Amino acid sequence: MSNTSLDFREGIIRKRLDKINRTILVTSGKGGVGKSMVAATMAASMAKFDMKVGLLDADIYGPSSAFIFRVKDLPREDRHGLLPPVSNGVKVMSLDLFAAGKPFPISGKGARQIIKELLTITEWGDLDFLIVDTPPGTGDVLMTLIKILGDMSSSIVVTLPTVLSTSVVRRVIELLLSSQIPVLGVLENMSYMASSKTRPLQSSEGKSLAAEFGVKFLGELPIDYEASKTADAGDMQSLLKTEFAKALLTSSEKMKLFTT
Amino acid sequence: MHELALVEGIISHVIDFARERKGHVVSFNDAIGEFAQFDKRLIRELLVELVKGTELEKSKMTVEIEKAETKCLYCNSKWGVNELLEPLSNDQKEMIHFLPELLNSFTKCPNCGKSDFEIEKGRSVRIAEVELNV
Repeated sequence: MSNTSLDFREGIIRKRLDKINRTILVTSGKGGVGKSMVAATMAASMAKFDMKVGLLDADIYGPSSAFIFRVKDLPREDRHGLLPPVSNGVKVMSLDLFAAGKPFPISGKGARQIIKELLTITEWGDLDFLIVDTPPGTGDVLMTLIKILGDMSSSIVVTLPTVLSTSVVRRVIELLLSSQIPVLGVLENMSYMASSKTRPLQSSEGKSLAAEFGVKFLGELPIDYEASKTADAGDMQSLLKTEFAKALLTSSEKMKLFTT
Repeated sequence: MHELALVEGIISHVIDFARERKGHVVSFNDAIGEFAQFDKRLIRELLVELVKGTELEKSKMTVEIEKAETKCLYCNSKWGVNELLEPLSNDQKEMIHFLPELLNSFTKCPNCGKSDFEIEKGRSVRIAEVELNV
């Protein structure tokens, strides 16, 4: 005879994830490198290629996916859980849909709970891809995602072309690899100006970083005011026509994300 | 109505738990945290309905409400559901029903005015105890 407490949520999450073909964590470790833009644009591009895509905004301290996709509706509740609202073909789930723009001051323990709860209650249905926008740092949220999604996820690491950025991003790559999460590659954002093709920073730190860990260098993304403008306007279809989105598509092809 | 998905999850988890240990579930107890604001009777009814035809059909099931306890990490005051949920709108309460940690977004400590809570007890539904006969 034994008495034991159990967390049943992991079983529910497992069943939900069984219906998802691939999960990709968009990570960095460093804030302000453009992870959310990469995650959102990647998800919308996939949807445009008729793939079934979900986007989980796990950046609970600074959620932006709902803003980029202009999603305001609350998830609809049905017998299986909460159905994420759909925008531009992407199912979007974000804490922001619940917090309604309010600040979200939360301790580490609470952050772990909220990620687990979001994954428990969200009914994604069948998906080709679940893209997960992760917060900066290697704290509770990333650790929880690794624990729950780890054995079924791969990752993309976003950096800037600076030594400062790669010094931080390096730690995330180490963490991902030591957690047996495949790193599909390193993406370098803000490498050149979309308009003039000039390079504000000469070095390609992202390439060196990828080589250091023996992972693929996925390419360079531009500083693209048009992309920024269209994201601000919530115009995802125009965003997909920008240099930024085209460069990201080329990088995604290197990961064979658009071939099944 | 995501309660149904949660109760299905509870049942399947208890069954797997017992199977892994090659045991028979004598009883199991579910605790409903006050912050989740679930209807105890509904959870109980769903459990009774969904265990039909499973190994748990003859197991004893109990459902109890778990009192909420929240600590303000700024001033160390402790608060329950009445002080924190009562002043909120129904919409805000519903959001907390889904994600109890949203308490930090919608309410403030009645003592110090900060929004730095940690839920110590009674956050959501959980399996409090399983008694196995191995």
